[in-house]
Amino acid sequence: MLEHAVKSELIALLGDRFSDEPEILTCYAYDSFLEESMPDAVIFPKTTDEVAKIMALANRAKVPVTARGAGTSVCGAPIAAEHGIVLCFSKMDKIMEVNTADRYVVVQPGVINGDLQKVLAPSGFFFPPDPGSMNFSTIGGNVALNAGGPRCLKYGVTKDYVLGMQVVLASGKVVRFGSKNIKDVTGYNFTSLFCGSEGTLGMVTEVTLKVIARPETTQTLLVTFADLDSTARAVSDIIGSGILPVSMELLDKMTINAIEDAVQMGLPREAGGTLLIEVDGSREACDRERSQIVHKVKEHNVMAVEEAEDEADRNRLWAARRAAYGVFAKIAPDILSEDVTVPVSKVPEMIRRIYQITEKYNLKAGVLAHAGDGNMHPLICADRKNKEEWKLVKKAFREIFVAGAELEGTLSGEHGIGLAKAEFLPLVMDQESRDFMACIKKAVDPNNILNPGKFV
Amino acid sequence: MRESSGNCGKCGICLSVCPVYKVLKEEQASPRARVQLIRAYGEKRLASTPLLKELIAKCLMCGSCAANCPSGVDHYSSFMEMRSRLIDDHGDRLEIRGLVYLLARERRLRMAMGMARMGQGVLPDRVAARFKLGNIAVDRFPRLNSRQFRKTVPEEIAPAKEAGQERGTVLYFTGCASNYIYGETGEAVVGLLTRLGYRVIIPREQSCCSVPMLYHGGVDEALTNIEQNIKSFHRPDIKAIIVDCPTCGSALKHEFAAMMERFDRGELMRQKALDIAEKTLDIMSFVYSHLSEMRFSRDSSTPIPEGPVSYHLPCHLKNSFVSAERVLNNIAEVDYVAAEDTSECCGGGGTFFYEYPEVAGKIAGSKIDNIRRTGAKTWLTDCPVCRINLSARLDSADDITMMHPAKYLQQKLVDVIREEDGDCDSCNGL
Repeated sequence: MLEHAVKSELIALLGDRFSDEPEILTCYAYDSFLEESMPDAVIFPKTTDEVAKIMALANRAKVPVTARGAGTSVCGAPIAAEHGIVLCFSKMDKIMEVNTADRYVVVQPGVINGDLQKVLAPSGFFFPPDPGSMNFSTIGGNVALNAGGPRCLKYGVTKDYVLGMQVVLASGKVVRFGSKNIKDVTGYNFTSLFCGSEGTLGMVTEVTLKVIARPETTQTLLVTFADLDSTARAVSDIIGSGILPVSMELLDKMTINAIEDAVQMGLPREAGGTLLIEVDGSREACDRERSQIVHKVKEHNVMAVEEAEDEADRNRLWAARRAAYGVFAKIAPDILSEDVTVPVSKVPEMIRRIYQITEKYNLKAGVLAHAGDGNMHPLICADRKNKEEWKLVKKAFREIFVAGAELEGTLSGEHGIGLAKAEFLPLVMDQESRDFMACIKKAVDPNNILNPGKFV
Repeated sequence: MRESSGNCGKCGICLSVCPVYKVLKEEQASPRARVQLIRAYGEKRLASTPLLKELIAKCLMCGSCAANCPSGVDHYSSFMEMRSRLIDDHGDRLEIRGLVYLLARERRLRMAMGMARMGQGVLPDRVAARFKLGNIAVDRFPRLNSRQFRKTVPEEIAPAKEAGQERGTVLYFTGCASNYIYGETGEAVVGLLTRLGYRVIIPREQSCCSVPMLYHGGVDEALTNIEQNIKSFHRPDIKAIIVDCPTCGSALKHEFAAMMERFDRGELMRQKALDIAEKTLDIMSFVYSHLSEMRFSRDSSTPIPEGPVSYHLPCHLKNSFVSAERVLNNIAEVDYVAAEDTSECCGGGGTFFYEYPEVAGKIAGSKIDNIRRTGAKTWLTDCPVCRINLSARLDSADDITMMHPAKYLQQKLVDVIREEDGDCDSCNGL
């Protein structure tokens, strides 16, 4: 519980944008991950100045502060593990500047990614990072988690588009990093440091993002393979040959059948795997790349190649991919979806390992992947109330992360670490490297009030 | 009946379709939060409190969360049951309880509407302009029908003479709105159906669809009403049950059978309710299935304002039927212009606009800004509450007339050409 003086000061500053009612706090105890923790209070600042005052107060009183956008993180990053205050940015949601001539936008952290895309669309520009939650997740959250998405294979993740930011430090001081310039190599690259920092280093209150022109055309293919190994090999073969599609989404047999059971989209149930491949650019380049891809996949036990004829058809094919997570939630009360990532040439081996591990523990599991960048989503369906089964789920995930590390992979391609993977960090970062992270954290947040209890 | 197979994975997709969350940007205003609050209450982590009641009730019950939930969580039913439970514990606003009381018996409603009509007649305009329901001045509400619509027409109406051979019989569930407020919608629905060659039966014994009662804890009253309606509307010989109000339609389609099952009213009643659900169709879907036979006029002598026409898609139509936009888009004589947010909620939501006027005002305000941008002089919508909520917030300077699309089409309908008599396409497999 907050000290009375802290509570009074926050109410004086924020009025009814403060709450410590248990009913309200219950709504800020979760994100899309499984673990939950009740904060002591939730607040909704509207300006950087308010955030600065809040941080100065929290630092003085040594109250933990955990930033939150729309709470769509899938790793528990915005969960107040050590209670304290949840600082919710959802009301700081203004698009402050759109400048397509200089290719940047300035936004507050609570702007929803999809809303930014809508504002940009008429000018023919877009912001490439497209997490699955893009229609409801916030830019602040995307920055904090360094979010990716299907088209990040070609375009890169959030950090590749952050030009500058305004940050409130733990002390309450306000600093600015980067600028509005596409080229800027002045000083330390703090924008990249803050991307993926999960609210452990400061509160990002304004972001300058690079935006780019929409490609002339996009073409989409759905390729069906007889077995998953062929599917995975096709992925590394295409990438290895120098073609860079926008997306290469892989769905395994279990996922295909779960989708068909739930929403009947006409996917081939007998297929071992499918790839949803998208290319974009000029029409000529798309035509060329598409035929190269069709030629390549035919070397890999392909069953069928379906090409989207128009936008409606393209949406139909993507609808299957978008439905995937939801249909797993139908199968069991608890779904654990991780995002272990390996070099693309090791995708076939990683998929084999995932299957071996989940089969060993007799777990119901499927594999979804942004396969072109090696970003795998093994999904395990289980019931946490079944304690024996849940122990096996945890064992399986540990082994999956170990396998990923052995293949020179990493813990997270786009979800972040949060509560989900903090314990696995030593698998991919040695002690010295983790000490260095802790050293930076200590320097900027000596009282450890910024999202404590997480990976650093 | 709604599917309820899913588990809430807390993914947050419902945040992107919830009109209340979009305005308030607070998790506690989201469907996901309500699911988690109900779970916390069920696990005894939260007690039943007035604040919990407020958080569960601050919902338009538009059903968009359930319609878009990838894992099939039935938000709608669980919110409705939780609302009832919390109203049992903490009561409801007096005027809402009064509304439930009136809607529970047709004769009470009839009497109340009679008194309201008299009130409208004697209340001076400047007084009416000063008093508000929610944040809408009383004089901005529609005038009530001078006679209830069902009294102005026979219970059974033969097909129009020019329609040729009779095609079959349909029932018409008028809903309270057409019966007491928008009589011209009822006339238009009957006009369209009879000109298409259908005999129309408007059962005298019909009463409120029960949705307002279900939303406000009047479960017993709703049950009685629904049984009454099932008895009036279950007719094996009819081809379709036509609704002009999407909310009534969603009740006939989903709630009747659900209530028969929930309260174990026997297999026969359940089957009758399912039969009603299967035959229920909104009037514009019915029109759509006959569109190829209908001829419309571009220059009508009837009093339709000139200029383009736009449309607001009510949530219950979107989530239980199909948008009437497809009809407007497919008539060459209609100069249809879509607003940027045609399919966005208006914030009406039954009594929501009255209970949470600020939220409703913000949601509707955005719709009105967008309709002004279209330049339309006629704004169509199927739902009477949407119409009340939106039309009341238009300025007199807007010069925009709102009406039900059935009324609009009836005024533009010139001829029906039936090359061969056949069954109503849409009724096959209804």
